[in-house]
Amino acid sequence: MDAFEKLEKVGEGTYGKVYRAREKATGKIVALKKTRLHEDDEGVPPTTLREVSILRMLSRDPHVVRLLDVKQGQNKEGKTVLYLVFEYMDTDLKKFIRSFRQTGEIIPAKTVKSLMYQLCKGVAFCHGHGILHRDLKPHNLLMDRKTSMLKIADLGLARAFTLPIKKYTHEILTLWYRAPEVLLGSTHYSTAVDMWSVGCIFAELVTKQALFPGDSELQQLLHIFRLLGTPNEEIWPGVSALVNWHEYPQWNPQSLSSAVPNLDENGLDLLSQMLQYEPSKRISAKKAMEHPYFDDVDKNRL
Amino acid sequence: MAELENPNVMTNLITFLSSLLQRVAESNDINCRLQPQKISAFHGLARPSISIQNYLERIFKYANCSPSCFIVAYVYLDRFAQRQPSLPINSFNVHRLLITSVMVAAKFMDDMYYNNAYYAKVGGISTTEMNFLEVDFLFGLGFRLNVTPNTFHTYCSYLQREMMLQPQPSLNIAESSLNIGRFLKLHLCFNEDETSHQQQQLAV
Repeated sequence: MDAFEKLEKVGEGTYGKVYRAREKATGKIVALKKTRLHEDDEGVPPTTLREVSILRMLSRDPHVVRLLDVKQGQNKEGKTVLYLVFEYMDTDLKKFIRSFRQTGEIIPAKTVKSLMYQLCKGVAFCHGHGILHRDLKPHNLLMDRKTSMLKIADLGLARAFTLPIKKYTHEILTLWYRAPEVLLGSTHYSTAVDMWSVGCIFAELVTKQALFPGDSELQQLLHIFRLLGTPNEEIWPGVSALVNWHEYPQWNPQSLSSAVPNLDENGLDLLSQMLQYEPSKRISAKKAMEHPYFDDVDKNRL
Repeated sequence: MAELENPNVMTNLITFLSSLLQRVAESNDINCRLQPQKISAFHGLARPSISIQNYLERIFKYANCSPSCFIVAYVYLDRFAQRQPSLPINSFNVHRLLITSVMVAAKFMDDMYYNNAYYAKVGGISTTEMNFLEVDFLFGLGFRLNVTPNTFHTYCSYLQREMMLQPQPSLNIAESSLNIGRFLKLHLCFNEDETSHQQQQLAV
């Protein structure tokens, strides 16, 4: 790994550190994600294995982070280390939203729209290739501050959704962006779980606050029910058969505009379609791109 | 291929895959003698005494992974052979390639799977060796682990067809080389997501 000069540590994940680094031969700035294989019994972490193989397929899309190379190296103790070489992006959506929250400014509606369009486009590309992200959240969406270009990253929890396998675990996803069917213990979920996350991110871009900031699975559900109403068999057939279903307090649905003011009518309509309870009724990423909300986006440029 | 859930189908599949790999390995053993080849990390010092079939049955018994993983592992072996023409599958490496490919398939596909140390025990090798093989196999595959539903079903229906035609795989030399030929031809048209179009395949 002498080919790169580490400049600074920019992050730390479960399996290792992320560095901003310079490729010596070209001077190009890259992000180096170092993966320890310290856990001898585990070998290559499954997240690394999935992320690399999925990115080898998806990295062609302008809205998915580009994986440039994978290198094998050794650390000081002589243990195998894998380096994932990514294109460098200078910020992420979490930091971007925080910077607006700190100054008290709102994120311009035009920027929100452009970011949302790019997000839908990237998600549509993943879904079109049979890949669920399963962990979409502002922190995992990289950005170029100057151009407002958005790229989906951190596909460690992503997986192919189309081959028959033993049931998916439902212990995935950051709580705040987790779809109700996952919270309720459904093990046969699909692309709709990502669209729920996309909806939560949409609202957060407008208000600069997480839409459903639960601190436990139950609290997370109650946050959702308080805004969208407690679901029942009528609006979501089959809901009471899900393993984590209990009797919950009864709330009536509130209007989305109360929780997300400053969003125009088209935006609210799109958001409501992303936050449909019944997964099969939730809008797909591809359909979302055609929604009137995006009519005035410069689609050719993004 | 919902039939994969059927234990009889799995037993037949294991038997069929074993005989297929055995024919490929034996055919390559002969070629190896004619022209020396690269020795990889997968190459054992001696030919393992356990038969391919017993080994695969052992993996099936203990790995407890999704049945699809065996199809996917087979796809990986095929990709590996295509990308690494200088490392053909032979009697010295087939066991290590098998345990590694099933382990990687389970890790990629399943949300719950056994760790490398467990697979090392099942495979009769040390954990250190298992870890080495895993990294080598991943780089050998260029980390191309995803199997599209299309590819999956193409392999499934190919295997199904072959199993139906040939419930008791014959080891007759002439017939088997013919079979391998057919096997190869078929694989060339599976290349929808592979960039390499090398002519050298599993058997050659």
